[in-house]
Amino acid sequence: MEALLDFAQGPLFRLTFAIMILGLLRILILDIVGMVEAYRKAGDKSIPWGLTISRTLEWLFPVKRILNHRPIYSIISILFHIGLIITPIFLFAHVRLWEQGVGFGWWTLSPQVADTLTITTIVFGLLLFLGRVGVSRARALSRPQDYLWPVLLIIPFISGYLCANMGVSPAVYQASMLVHVLSGELIFVALPFTKIAHCVLMPFSQLVSVLAWKFPARVDEDVATTLDKKGAPV
Amino acid sequence: MNRVHVVKTILWALVGLGLAVAISRFAFGLGATTNLTDATPWGLWIGFDVMAGVALAAGGFVITAVFYMMRRKEFHPMVRPAVLTAFLGYVAVVFSLLVDLGLPWNIWHMMIYWNPHSPLFEVGWCVMLYTTVLLLEFSPVPLESTSRYAKIRTFLMKFRFPLVLLGIMLSTLHQSSLGSLFLIMPFKLHPLWYTKILPILFFISAVGLGLMMVSFESLVSGWIYRKKPETHLVAKLGKAAVWVLGVFLIVRFVDLGIAGKLGLIFAGSWESFLFVAEILIMAVIPMIIFANPATRNRVGWQWAGSFMVVFGAVFNRINVGGLTMVSTTGDAYFPSWMEFAISFGVVSFMILIFLFAIEKFHIWEEQPRELEADPHAKPRFSRAGEVWLGAPAVAGRTKYSFAFVLALAIGFAIMPGKKLHSGGIENVPVEAARGGDTLYVDGNRDGYGVAFKHEFHIDTLGGDQSCVRCHHMNMPMDFASGCFNCHSQMYQAVDAFKHDWHASPSGGNVACNECHAEGENRTAASAKSCESCHTDLIPAGATIEIESYMAPAYTDAMHDMCIGCHREVNQQRAELPEQKDLALCGTCHTTAGPEYLRADVRERLKRPEFNRVVMPGLSLEDGK
Repeated sequence: MEALLDFAQGPLFRLTFAIMILGLLRILILDIVGMVEAYRKAGDKSIPWGLTISRTLEWLFPVKRILNHRPIYSIISILFHIGLIITPIFLFAHVRLWEQGVGFGWWTLSPQVADTLTITTIVFGLLLFLGRVGVSRARALSRPQDYLWPVLLIIPFISGYLCANMGVSPAVYQASMLVHVLSGELIFVALPFTKIAHCVLMPFSQLVSVLAWKFPARVDEDVATTLDKKGAPV
Repeated sequence: MNRVHVVKTILWALVGLGLAVAISRFAFGLGATTNLTDATPWGLWIGFDVMAGVALAAGGFVITAVFYMMRRKEFHPMVRPAVLTAFLGYVAVVFSLLVDLGLPWNIWHMMIYWNPHSPLFEVGWCVMLYTTVLLLEFSPVPLESTSRYAKIRTFLMKFRFPLVLLGIMLSTLHQSSLGSLFLIMPFKLHPLWYTKILPILFFISAVGLGLMMVSFESLVSGWIYRKKPETHLVAKLGKAAVWVLGVFLIVRFVDLGIAGKLGLIFAGSWESFLFVAEILIMAVIPMIIFANPATRNRVGWQWAGSFMVVFGAVFNRINVGGLTMVSTTGDAYFPSWMEFAISFGVVSFMILIFLFAIEKFHIWEEQPRELEADPHAKPRFSRAGEVWLGAPAVAGRTKYSFAFVLALAIGFAIMPGKKLHSGGIENVPVEAARGGDTLYVDGNRDGYGVAFKHEFHIDTLGGDQSCVRCHHMNMPMDFASGCFNCHSQMYQAVDAFKHDWHASPSGGNVACNECHAEGENRTAASAKSCESCHTDLIPAGATIEIESYMAPAYTDAMHDMCIGCHREVNQQRAELPEQKDLALCGTCHTTAGPEYLRADVRERLKRPEFNRVVMPGLSLEDGK
């Protein structure tokens, strides 16, 4: 168990964390490069910048949408996101590990706030999962990863809470820590390759759609050639 | 995936791995990344990257000489690739040198602070000037792609011929001066390689290698892009190489004969094996291949012949650069995987730039067309996610970046964390002092130690009451614990508290909340003091105050303890009766003859007279 924990906290952590950071950077760069290329090729270069930016901001900070659209779901989702992002980054124990490992740390949450955020994340994550399963309209739109993600995301929160607060014996502590670390690492690895990649792609979601519909001039002929229907009506 | 994609994916992965290691090299230093030692300060990066890199770049000056000076116009298709290869070769040398230098940010010093007596000064200047010349020689090629830079291009083209001449001159200087570098180590380099004409040998072999490197590069890049091999040109270069390599062999053996060293070839030693292998691979076998018209014109034989010369010449440079010094230094250096990763990463990066240039600029007579980049190719979908893989250009980009990211992450993961954090400081555990009234203090058991008169110190300092004067901390259930219990590493500070041991089920089996207060962040501040459980941890009257539980390294602790006390004692005494000043370095650190060493240690350390023994004026046999 201890050897496994050492491995999970050492090489496996470095591997998965690097995959997450570099993988996110990779899709971000690929995304931007793709957009630049689309813009260069575009026949019509007029971009409604004002509208695009305001829509992007609306989606990034969905204050307006809370009350218009399914208010309960929106509030749960927003609180879940806040806990999900803030807690791991500003948790004292995590920052302490960065201080020891790379030599620098940053501002941290007090234990009480961290505990509250952890519990809200767990509860709202569960509610989101139940919403997926329970609402038939949501079920119809869902892929397997949509059910798996809320569950996977709250596993490190549950195990982390257990480690941080329960007066458990060292053996239970280590088992719980192992679950915490391994589930966290699974999230790291899966993050850049699944829908969770929206954590970096979100700011470009509106711009991508705007650019994607700018077809290059005479692209219809290329499409026809590719489909072996040159000259025929497409 | 087609051939280009496979090759590029592998190269990007190697670049990723190399980059991970390069980051660790600059963050943690050479000691943590390489297997280099004081006895072997030049390793793979010098032997392969710098020495062989310069040699492999020789194609540039050889082909430009053939084309511009001998006016052999048929070699025109090879000029641009050769100059580009040479340029990238030199850039690779510069990269590797920066990685290898201890203080790379001082590289500019040689431009201001001249030391004309140093061979490295000449090497440095030549690399700098020739890289600039190659850049100027090559830059018209990328500039011709847009008309915007036409003026600059025309300006540069005016100086083409002087630049070529300057390039050939600098190469001649530089290829040979890498050989001159080793003239200053006649006792380190094996006699089969050490000769006063080493610079001349380096130059001749560079010419032969240059011819074959251009051939090999032409064959490989042609294979990658499925281009018809330039067989007739390679055959001509091969024919020329036979003459050059022939001259090389004659000079090499005549020189050995005059020096009377020919017998060493048959000595049956490791070096004689290296020598024979080097001569066969680098010169003899390729000469047979390219001298015979039947094999010279066949592509398969051309691959074999040119590869052997390239491999053999690299082998030769590595031999001179360090492999044949091993028996002199007695330091069995083998590069760490991280050194290999950097070398391969730098080379891969240069090949990628080469392929990029071939695709984008007019390097070849006919620019290669990427098969998958056909705008009318059918789109493809990934089987797993049903995701559109997009236009083929995007598919390539997706694959390369994935390979790069994955390799970079794996690089970070497999780095030896402990070695990195120790900054390359050796992990040497300490063993207990042995003896009775006199203790022999030799923590790392290397045969050099201190004969410490323990009983004498007890008597002098006041009997049993005086233990706490030195023994400032007890292990649990112990009294006057030995130094090695906490100061358990020779050269590194150690955490004597061992938090993880306390929290481990197989160790102390203590739950978090037994020490740390509830509702607070778990830090040293929120924890109970050690003495609240271990009541006898600090003995009453201990004179050394514990500031933290990071126990200094054994060597530091011992020096502080002995010197600190003796300095005080010296101040109290008016004079030192018959006894030397034990607070002075030279009192203990005296050169000792081999008779002070155990035979096996003497054998292991090779040169006992260079080491210093620590013996304060008495030997163990005295027992005083």
